Amino acid sequence: MQRPFDPRAISRREALTLGGGALAAAAIAPQLCTRPAMADTPKRGGTLSLRLWDPPHFDPHLTISYKTHILYTFTHSRLLKHKAGPGVAPGTFPIEGDLAESWSQPSETTYVFKLKKGVRWHNKPPVNGRELTADDVKYTFERFVAEKGNANHYMLAALERVEAVDKYTVKVMLKEPYVWFLDVVSNPMALCILPREAVEKFGDLKKPEAVIGTGPWMLDNYRPNAGATFVRHPGYFQAGLPYIDRVEMTVDEDNASRMAAFVAGKYDLGWEAAGTINRVDWVQLKDTLKQKRPKLQTLEFAANQMSHIYMRTDKPPFSDVRVRRAISLAFNRQGLLDAVAEGVGVLNPAVPAAFKEWSLPVDQLGEGAQYYKFDPARAKKLLAEAGYPNGFPATVSYATYGSTIQVDAVQLVLKYLKDVGIDAKANQQEYGAYIATTFYGKYESMAFGPQTPFLDPDNFLYGPYAPGELKNQAHVNDPVLTDMLVRQRRTADVQKRREVLYEIQRHLAKQQYYVYAPSGVYIGVWDGALKNYAPNLGYDWGGRVTAAWLDR
Amino acid sequence: MKSYVLKRLLVAIPSLAIASIIVFTLPRLLPGDAVQLMVEEKAYGKDIDDLRAKLGLDRPIYVQYFAWLGNVARGNLGESLWTKRAVSEELARRLPVTLSLGVLAIFFALVMAIPIGILAAIRADTLRDYAARSVAILGLSVPGFWLATLVIILPAMWWGWTPILSFTEFSQDPAKYALQFVLPAAILGIASAAAIMRLTRAMLLEVLRQDYVRTAWSKGLSEGWVVLKHSLKNAVIPVVTILGIQLAQIFSGTVIIESIFGLPGMGRFLFDAILQRDYPVIQGINLLVVTVIVLMNLLVDMLYAVLDPRIRYS
Repeated sequence: MQRPFDPRAISRREALTLGGGALAAAAIAPQLCTRPAMADTPKRGGTLSLRLWDPPHFDPHLTISYKTHILYTFTHSRLLKHKAGPGVAPGTFPIEGDLAESWSQPSETTYVFKLKKGVRWHNKPPVNGRELTADDVKYTFERFVAEKGNANHYMLAALERVEAVDKYTVKVMLKEPYVWFLDVVSNPMALCILPREAVEKFGDLKKPEAVIGTGPWMLDNYRPNAGATFVRHPGYFQAGLPYIDRVEMTVDEDNASRMAAFVAGKYDLGWEAAGTINRVDWVQLKDTLKQKRPKLQTLEFAANQMSHIYMRTDKPPFSDVRVRRAISLAFNRQGLLDAVAEGVGVLNPAVPAAFKEWSLPVDQLGEGAQYYKFDPARAKKLLAEAGYPNGFPATVSYATYGSTIQVDAVQLVLKYLKDVGIDAKANQQEYGAYIATTFYGKYESMAFGPQTPFLDPDNFLYGPYAPGELKNQAHVNDPVLTDMLVRQRRTADVQKRREVLYEIQRHLAKQQYYVYAPSGVYIGVWDGALKNYAPNLGYDWGGRVTAAWLDR
Repeated sequence: MKSYVLKRLLVAIPSLAIASIIVFTLPRLLPGDAVQLMVEEKAYGKDIDDLRAKLGLDRPIYVQYFAWLGNVARGNLGESLWTKRAVSEELARRLPVTLSLGVLAIFFALVMAIPIGILAAIRADTLRDYAARSVAILGLSVPGFWLATLVIILPAMWWGWTPILSFTEFSQDPAKYALQFVLPAAILGIASAAAIMRLTRAMLLEVLRQDYVRTAWSKGLSEGWVVLKHSLKNAVIPVVTILGIQLAQIFSGTVIIESIFGLPGMGRFLFDAILQRDYPVIQGINLLVVTVIVLMNLLVDMLYAVLDPRIRYS
């Protein structure tokens, strides 16, 4: 719910009232998504101040860093985009045209996009404000999959070829049906349309002068490690937009400094992911903010950042489903939320509860729902039935991710395992070593860590569960599940696809290949002067402020 | 003097060579490498191999070392694995920020330490001396990052005010450029000031007890004349020595202070480079720092002769 400075959207008590922490997104949606009134008449002008991050460089095909991709949402357009604004419930991603005027799907594997006419690139050399054409789109697709070092290219693994049918028509052909294709095209992590001339002139797009797009703002200057300024693109193809003239981005890598700057009114949005403030800081600051910035707006929504316990399900003892269920029953999810998230959060099935359209509430998981309860006595019983009445030794590998929350969470997981007799020892790995080994399934016993916060259920399911996938960390090979995973990728009808996804989540709740930790609830915070804005998950900061205005 | 300087410079060459091996090897001993961090959790095996080859990280380490050393000898520090920008260009942009901060920190350290050290020495074992020494111990004990955090957070909480936290280039506004360094430099200088103050006090006390000072007193010279003219110059030689050592401490302090105050200097650059395993940057910065410290220590040694004409170099 969007409210003028009400610090709690869901309190711990409310969360418990709504089902002991088993908060499904569907259940919280009515609370969280009261529409803010469309404020007044749009005003042109003003400067939006944000705390963002210093990008490693500016080539979106040569880094997966959110620091680069977020900046591109200000300067570049995509074929399609996620709708933004107060009318969109956080955790949902309705698609609308960006550069595409319309699109169609003549066959299961063919998509045709009709481009808007008169779209102009930023007036910077070597592109100099020329009109965008289908060749630019074709070029971008081809560079995306061909560029060595583009670690995101798996997102278009199904791509066969792209044709520029005429100046304003692009035809995309896939090797096999992949119903999430439009979601991928809309995702700010993937396909910002790029000009060929910039790549040819600069060799790649790493330099700031190569940041030339068709988006609402132009990169005016970049100050390494310090910040960047974006100015309004006068030739932006959406008439009248953007309303905001300048966007000032400050690099601020110190939390104390960020907090102080926010309290002093130097940032218009919360300083963390998606314009949020983490709950621990929020609890400390809310009274001060109430005095210093009484017009702040807040909106709470479930995070798509989800951690899980994973284990070698291809080997004993974890190949026994009773052991995996015992681990889930031993996991005090509410205890974890109490310890690291001020007691506020949501329980996750295999698809994060944040995705309202696709996630099944835990209490609707059928037989598998019982394993989300905290029941150490039953966990011990299941272990005994599996032949481990005295538990067994185990190792939990993890990386800290530089986060004290992660370290606290691991300590709790170890405690919960020990409480039921699993003698788990911590194996802390440096981040790079963790990613190179454990994250890719190269470990012996158990591990605990976060997943990438994707915006679609397919990425949360296919990689971790399909046999042969590098991200199949638990080494799952379940033919029934694999069939459903492939089926959901080929089911175009949304309702039917949702049913398949629900079935997958029910199946996985029973199997507990991965034991999912709860997610926190983000607190989106923004200055009261910023109108027609609403936060959402994902990198699309620029998209969310394109039609917003400042009423200082 | 010339032959001394030449000898010292020649001795510096093996020191720098050893330092180059250390700065090249140590970052590579850290688990994980730049490629793994670049692709994070989304890469496939082939991407990692391709990227490693593309960046030249697939060659044996000694081959990489000699290739790098050869380039350094030609004045080329290599290019960042992440940004592909020349390390020397990056350093040229960031060095002035760190130098401004460092020089101002030393200035603050001296301005705080010398007068208090003198006062503590000439009023030894009085309340003022105890107070000065207590403050010095506090200055040594309080971590700079904690002090910096308080300096930023508390005024924001109390008055909604923060010091300058967004960086201004010199070309944009010289006054604001200078102003933004005052607070971080003062904080950075505190720990050094405490060490220098204690040493100043100790050395001055020793000098004040010497016969020639007693003679000066007996001649009826004023306290200011005895202390400042006859004693201080002899007392500060060890202080100058410690100042050379403090340079390294001040540089290490910039790593955190630059991050807290949003200053895009070399310390912060090094911090980011370590997190990203950007080997050429780590090597370039460390080699530069080692070189500067070696040269500054040489300069300090040469200053002895200026401070004390009895010292001769042969």
